[in-house]
Amino acid sequence: MTRRATTVSALAILCLASGVAAADTIKVGVIGTMSGPYALFGKNFKMGIDAWVAENGTKVGGHDVEFIYRDEESPNPAKSKAIAQELIVKDKVQYLAGAYFTPNAMAIAPLLEESKTPLVVMNAATSSIVEKSPYIVRTSFTMWQNTVPAAKTATKNGAKKVAIAVSDYGPGIDAEAAFKKTFEADGGAVVEAIRIPLATTDFSPIMQRIKNSGADTIFTFLPSGPPTLGFVKAYLDNGLKVAGVKLMSTGDVVTEPDLPNIGDPGIGILSTYHYSVSHASPENASFLAQIKKGGGNVDEVTMTSVAAYDGARLIYKMIEATAGQRDPVKAIAAVKDMTWVSPRGPVSIDPATRHIRQNVYLREVAKVDGKLINREIQTFDAQPDWALSKE
Amino acid sequence: MRIVLSIATDALAYGMVLFIISIGLSIMMGLMRVVNLAHGAFAMIGGYLASYAIRDLNAPYGLAILIAVIGAIVVSIPFEALLYRRIYRKSDPLIQVLMTIGITFVIIGVVNYIFGPSLKSIPLPNALSGPLDIGFRMVPTHRVFVIACGLITALLLWLLIEKTEFGIKLRASVDHSDMADALGIRTEIIYAVTFALAIGLGAFGGVVGAEILPIEPFYALRYMVTFLVVVSVGGAGSITGALSASLLLGLADTTGKYLAPEFGEFFFYLTVIIIVFLFPRGLFGRSHA
Amino acid sequence: MSDSATPAPPRGLPMIPEASGALAIIGLGAIGYFLFPDDLAFLTRLIGITLLVLSLDLVTGYCGVATLGHAAQFGVAAYAAGIACVRGVTDPIALLGVGLVAGTMMGLISGALITRFRGLPQLVLSIAVGQLVAALANKLSWLTGGSDGLSGITPGKVFGLYGFDMYSRTAFLFSLGVLLIVFVVLSRFVRSPFGLMCRGIKDDDLRARMIGVSIYPRLVVMYGVSGAVAGLGGALTAISTGVVGLDSVSFERSAEVLVMLVLGGAGHLWGALAGALIFQIFEHIVAAANPFHWMMLVGLLLIGIVVFAPRGLIAPVMALATRLARKGDA
Repeated sequence: MTRRATTVSALAILCLASGVAAADTIKVGVIGTMSGPYALFGKNFKMGIDAWVAENGTKVGGHDVEFIYRDEESPNPAKSKAIAQELIVKDKVQYLAGAYFTPNAMAIAPLLEESKTPLVVMNAATSSIVEKSPYIVRTSFTMWQNTVPAAKTATKNGAKKVAIAVSDYGPGIDAEAAFKKTFEADGGAVVEAIRIPLATTDFSPIMQRIKNSGADTIFTFLPSGPPTLGFVKAYLDNGLKVAGVKLMSTGDVVTEPDLPNIGDPGIGILSTYHYSVSHASPENASFLAQIKKGGGNVDEVTMTSVAAYDGARLIYKMIEATAGQRDPVKAIAAVKDMTWVSPRGPVSIDPATRHIRQNVYLREVAKVDGKLINREIQTFDAQPDWALSKE
Repeated sequence: MRIVLSIATDALAYGMVLFIISIGLSIMMGLMRVVNLAHGAFAMIGGYLASYAIRDLNAPYGLAILIAVIGAIVVSIPFEALLYRRIYRKSDPLIQVLMTIGITFVIIGVVNYIFGPSLKSIPLPNALSGPLDIGFRMVPTHRVFVIACGLITALLLWLLIEKTEFGIKLRASVDHSDMADALGIRTEIIYAVTFALAIGLGAFGGVVGAEILPIEPFYALRYMVTFLVVVSVGGAGSITGALSASLLLGLADTTGKYLAPEFGEFFFYLTVIIIVFLFPRGLFGRSHA
Repeated sequence: MSDSATPAPPRGLPMIPEASGALAIIGLGAIGYFLFPDDLAFLTRLIGITLLVLSLDLVTGYCGVATLGHAAQFGVAAYAAGIACVRGVTDPIALLGVGLVAGTMMGLISGALITRFRGLPQLVLSIAVGQLVAALANKLSWLTGGSDGLSGITPGKVFGLYGFDMYSRTAFLFSLGVLLIVFVVLSRFVRSPFGLMCRGIKDDDLRARMIGVSIYPRLVVMYGVSGAVAGLGGALTAISTGVVGLDSVSFERSAEVLVMLVLGGAGHLWGALAGALIFQIFEHIVAAANPFHWMMLVGLLLIGIVVFAPRGLIAPVMALATRLARKGDA
């Protein structure tokens, strides 16, 4: 940057800072899928944040906090970057949060350092996102985190030949790599690895290919939304379940709002995930009660609302630690070894990676009191992100 | 061999869905010469109505299809009377494209406002869900149902167009509209009835095809070009054309998905380009001299 | 739209259209720069798309080619510039050159395929070519980033002096400069014998054939020029946003620019400019509030335009301008 440009941006940032101090409202820009096929998850961001605000008030140490929501709609990095830029330059937000899709989070990352804005990622699950900027913290999960236990479970359940089917984008490729590495290290064989374009809705040909590969188990990851339901239905209706081929997935494929659509044939599907709506703990019970009180529908709750709830916790903490000033280094330092009990279970932020460390649960789809749930049957304690962590 | 049969079965099912939805558009484009990009929007309306009927009114599947078809036709009547009539047979394609894109956007907006943005499933009756063993593989029972629907639709349409008086008038209007008019055939009535028939078929296809093309607000936009492409590859106004184009493109798409899923719709559109180059009027298109 | 040819501009001062275009763009740019300093990022993107609309006008407005695949030129150029930048060519001017060449190539290819036919086959081919490019952009993810988008585009300084920053001042002025030059050149180009010939082909291709004009090569060349303009737009967008996603080759992008063009008025550069500005500014305001309301609004607007003003918003303005000019002459 030329010296002039540096001066200009320094001046601009000064203006920003003084503007914030005068109004004393700290703005947080939330970028989520507020419309389109993935709108449910944007809504979950809002439900989670609203629940946190309802419990903890709209003020932190005398500063008003205001959340501004913007729509990322679909995996559209150019649009997301523009939105983030606008939130920073025009709305003068002090924190950014959200990001449902990995490509969108990646596009936002380069803006953070120049604008001194921390970003709390509330969904996007490719491991490398946190490495793109020192100002990123993540409260959701990564593919590696959830997939490694899936591969371990597959081995334990006697799987020998696995077919992997993932969406053809960052997190899908992460999931494929994580499963392949873990499963092959334990002596299993991956007989087929299929990458499916994000827009695919008809999975019948893919099921045939898997069937012909002779796999005894399928591992899949697709971003939860319209494709996941189609995938599970294709698995059931093409007779793979009847033929004894098992389905393993991360929880994205069997989110609670989708379970009624999958129906009883889905009973027994295994998945590994960091949050189940049916998780039995006082924290989760009060979280769900809070959402209900705020007018939310508990049947629509997914993991994104919990990530948003915990993300709001981090933002409040950062505001408190910096006394409302724009100081990303201090803000990040304040949260990067936090430990607390989330509705999903005990969690902590890993200081080395700024990614959340959490329990991952093995669950199976079960019918309890006439309602399909993901029943937790095994816990993998305090999982780090296996790609980033040196453990 | 099993792989070939396997792909063929999936291709047949997908092709039949394309056929049921596209045949309405094909008839419309053959008779009224309207490039109707909003056809998918009406199919989507059918899907939403069926989903609503089953999930909220507990209607049986058959009744839901009926509600969807009739409902979509009722919704389409004001569009026909106020808008489509202006562009029958005269305007250049650009005008038609713009108006029908406009109609699509309006329908997407309204549907989202009423039903919300999420995916709407159309629950199947037990008889149609689950897998069915057809010897060399298991197929979803529903696919077999779809294939049967497609064949019956093709047969009934053929009877309607070849064997009834309406069919004779319709063919007369397609081939020589001025002459038909002069002979006392009320072309505007033929147009209105054909429009309703086209929309009804679209809605029917939207419902029975929902397992393959799931119903959500962007359905109308997502498959907008797919249906148009099927019709123009087959040749507007031809049942045989629409059927063969649907099956051919269904085969291209399914084979592509089976052999190289990461290519997406590449093979589908490659086939389209090749066919359009070889047969600019479509496989079974008539010359509109 | 087939009868929207403007009468040839009045003879006299030959540079008037160019000068007025330049002045208008400088004026609008100044308004944007000084009154909306917080919106420069948006205005920069707006300029990129405006170039695509101008490019579409050349083939749709001036040659009567109905296309729903014009984003191919824009997207291919954006990817080309982005890839060049990631691989080490960081000079913005050089990147523009890359985009220009890539857009021209893609334009020639598209033109060669699409303009062989008229009517429905032409429309379907344009869609198929566009979708083919989109499928390839997704498939070649090692090159394009696929669904993840191509990121890490950090262009160097313009003329080695002005760097791109978050506030988009440089990007905006740079884009404005490109738009200015393109608009002036195109104003000249559409009135050149070649441009007028294309218009003649559009109005009556039979007559053009009769007087011995071979149509196909001319349309392909026009497509190449159009591709060059779209390519500049694509490269500018890649440079200023630093990301290229699949949206830049999508069907939605193609459809959207067609809507903008027809809204403003196809067959006039001014119409393309006005349509692009009005549409995007409204979209920016309304769509931020609720994207579905925006779709409904655009839908109603489109229907309204087709029914009541099939020649676009610019037509009455142009008519007025012509009348005033005539009065001046007399």
